[in-house]
Amino acid sequence: MRGQKQRKQFGKFLVNLTLLFIIIVWTVPTLGIFVSSFRNRTKIDTTGWWAVLPHREWQAVSELDPKSLDLDPDGIMEIEGISGTFDEFRTGVETPDGKRLTWLGNKRLGRIEVQEQVWAVDWDFSLDNYRQVLGGQDFEFKRPDGTVEVVPGDNMINAFLNSLAVAIPSTVIPILIAAFAAYAFAWMKFPGRRTLFILVVALLVVPLQIALVPILRDYKALNLNGTFLAIWLAHTGFGLALATYLLYNYISQLPRDILESAFIDGASHFTVFTQLVMPLSLPALASFAIFQFLWVWNDYLVALIFLGGNPEFELVTQRMAAIVGARGQDWHLLTAGAFVSMLLPLIVFFSLQRFFVRGLLAGSVKG
Amino acid sequence: MKKVLWQVLALMLVASMVLAACGAPAATEEAPAATEEAHAATEEAAMTEEAPAMAEVDFAYPAGGALEEALKGTYAGTTVTVDGAFEGNDPDGVKLAESVKAFEEATGITVNYIGNKEFEATISVRVDAGDAPDIVDFPQPGKAAQFVASGNIVPVSEYLSDEWLTQQYNQSWRDMVTFDGSEMGVFHRFNGKSLVWYPKKAWDAAGYPIPQTWEELIALNDQIVADGDTPWCIGIESGAATGWAATDWTEEMMLRTTSLENYDAWVAGDLAFDSPEVKKAVETWSAMWFNDAYVYGGRSSIVTTFFGDSPTPMFDADGPKCWMHKQGNFITGFFPEGTVAGEDYGFFYFPPVDPAYGKPFLVAGDSMYMFNDRPEVRALMEYFTVPQSASGWLQGGGALAAHQTATPDMYGVELEKGIAELVANATSFRFDASDLMPGEVGAGSFWEHISSYVAGSEDIDTAMQAIDASWPR
Repeated sequence: MRGQKQRKQFGKFLVNLTLLFIIIVWTVPTLGIFVSSFRNRTKIDTTGWWAVLPHREWQAVSELDPKSLDLDPDGIMEIEGISGTFDEFRTGVETPDGKRLTWLGNKRLGRIEVQEQVWAVDWDFSLDNYRQVLGGQDFEFKRPDGTVEVVPGDNMINAFLNSLAVAIPSTVIPILIAAFAAYAFAWMKFPGRRTLFILVVALLVVPLQIALVPILRDYKALNLNGTFLAIWLAHTGFGLALATYLLYNYISQLPRDILESAFIDGASHFTVFTQLVMPLSLPALASFAIFQFLWVWNDYLVALIFLGGNPEFELVTQRMAAIVGARGQDWHLLTAGAFVSMLLPLIVFFSLQRFFVRGLLAGSVKG
Repeated sequence: MKKVLWQVLALMLVASMVLAACGAPAATEEAPAATEEAHAATEEAAMTEEAPAMAEVDFAYPAGGALEEALKGTYAGTTVTVDGAFEGNDPDGVKLAESVKAFEEATGITVNYIGNKEFEATISVRVDAGDAPDIVDFPQPGKAAQFVASGNIVPVSEYLSDEWLTQQYNQSWRDMVTFDGSEMGVFHRFNGKSLVWYPKKAWDAAGYPIPQTWEELIALNDQIVADGDTPWCIGIESGAATGWAATDWTEEMMLRTTSLENYDAWVAGDLAFDSPEVKKAVETWSAMWFNDAYVYGGRSSIVTTFFGDSPTPMFDADGPKCWMHKQGNFITGFFPEGTVAGEDYGFFYFPPVDPAYGKPFLVAGDSMYMFNDRPEVRALMEYFTVPQSASGWLQGGGALAAHQTATPDMYGVELEKGIAELVANATSFRFDASDLMPGEVGAGSFWEHISSYVAGSEDIDTAMQAIDASWPR
């Protein structure tokens, strides 16, 4: 009995240990990027983010002039009782008393540094990356008359508002349509129901990329191109198949008894849908809302095609792509950019999360 | 609880609709107002004077063309869309906006730039859907060839005179935008590639000379090695495009070890990669690259070093780890923050190998093509043939004007001015060959097999034959 308990506890311990390990593996890179986002480019380039942790570092204590020591850099040299070649001193030679001799510079002009190991932390943080991501860069133009004009680049607020203006309707519209459709497929009887439903499910496997050119052509004819309505409709269409399928699965599993008693009491389909089905399927609606919102928020391609590269309508994803510069020279800004663009999806996730964690159906029906 | 959720959702929906409503049309509402004003202005001008008033501008324009008409305000209120491979908000986008400001102010025409980084893919979708932009800024003439073939581009001869173009451009620039005998676009701006960068302070302290010939360069290499250092910083890693930096070196050597005719034949696919000329060019640079004493990190690190990081060791706090880096002038964007041109770094012309081939210069740059033929679009195309249309880059740095009418005083940045002088001294120049070759080769097998050759997994014959085999015929 006791042995069994112990074994159980050991198993629990093992599971926890594994979970802890997985959590560390998953979060360490994120932590690294987070720390890096507060360091400037030269720092990211030369030392890893872990330099913020206490570590041992070589520090110069004194300097020697090779010329005064009368050394021959091409042969074997003896410095402070240590002998070695030029290449060895270049990488650093440690002395028995814990010091290190390092040759800096070339053979003709170089100097020798005597270094000691000390504890160090690199806590030189700056908000520069965030400032550039949020506030935009400044551009200098030197006019022929010698004056210098500074033109500020775009800040990110516009992109944020645009992304919201795209993402929210593109989440709400498909959910509303799909909920109606799912209810109809699940609880209403009409001819061709199965065929229609199979058609909707079949649409799941159609990649949206093949629809880009035809839809763009239609939008062009309707003069919709480059408007918000265009992209709302596009995202609605692309998200509808999955939304209908997901919500159908959930709504069709609602307990028959509840709905039947409502029908017996004389409720119409509309009443049942708004009073019973919608509230009961909140968890499914919320989880799909999260999916759809994240997908639309992170979408780059669809927005690029239907909204165009118009700076007026630039989204956060496009802004992120632009931020690294034409040749990727500003790659270090991506660290800060990643966290800025992550902010809103995180808020959405944590505010909607409780809706699908709760078991709404618990205790509604007996047996 | 559920009520709250619905309220929040409804609120968010309404908020976003409002956002969309006031975010978008605000810009479009302004346009008609501007049009009215412009119309009013032109009407007024017409009333007070007999002839329409001409806007005073500091750039030249061809007589009797659309631009001259536009300067009278005839097309005020119209919009011209320009597409390209950079984002409207990135440095190049801001510089383009700066460059066309003078045009917009003088003509009342709005230039709407809509480019993005996925340009290569989206331009085809756009044109196929019949939604072609008015003007496209192609970073490589090779990409334009596709639309020349499909007949989407309006030839230059329909709206610009030969005389005007001869005055504005050196013949080489016109050749580069000529497809099957007809000139399809106009060159706008370019980057010089035949440049070697060095850490100026340490360089001057060490007393190294600027090499003028290939022999001097080799002697300098050996001197730096004798001083216990490594001469070259080389890296060709660039994600899916790994190897392009090595194709640049091949092109430099093609210009320096064989004739321009052979270079052009090579670009056109008439001279095989497996020919002695191309192999000699590759071997000329690889003799240097494959010498571990000459390259920082040795041959094995070349393929794995990001091209943008490769010059960083030149600026090491403990003195340069390597001393020279050959790259186009855009590389200064990758130099550590705070380094200043002329103080921390300098540049010199990559010396010629064989004096018989003069001083060639390798360039890459952007050219403009007209897709929709409207008078206001023609006016902007005419504007692109004057150096002032690149003023954003000339004054803000980043590129040089392709026009021979550009003068040194137009450059606000010393760096670009210096490069412009080197370019002026060049005896010939040619466009980056890999950008002109078919995509399968220039942006595919050439990169891939030259990387394998540098990595040592393929010998020169295997690599060159593999590139030849991939050439679409």
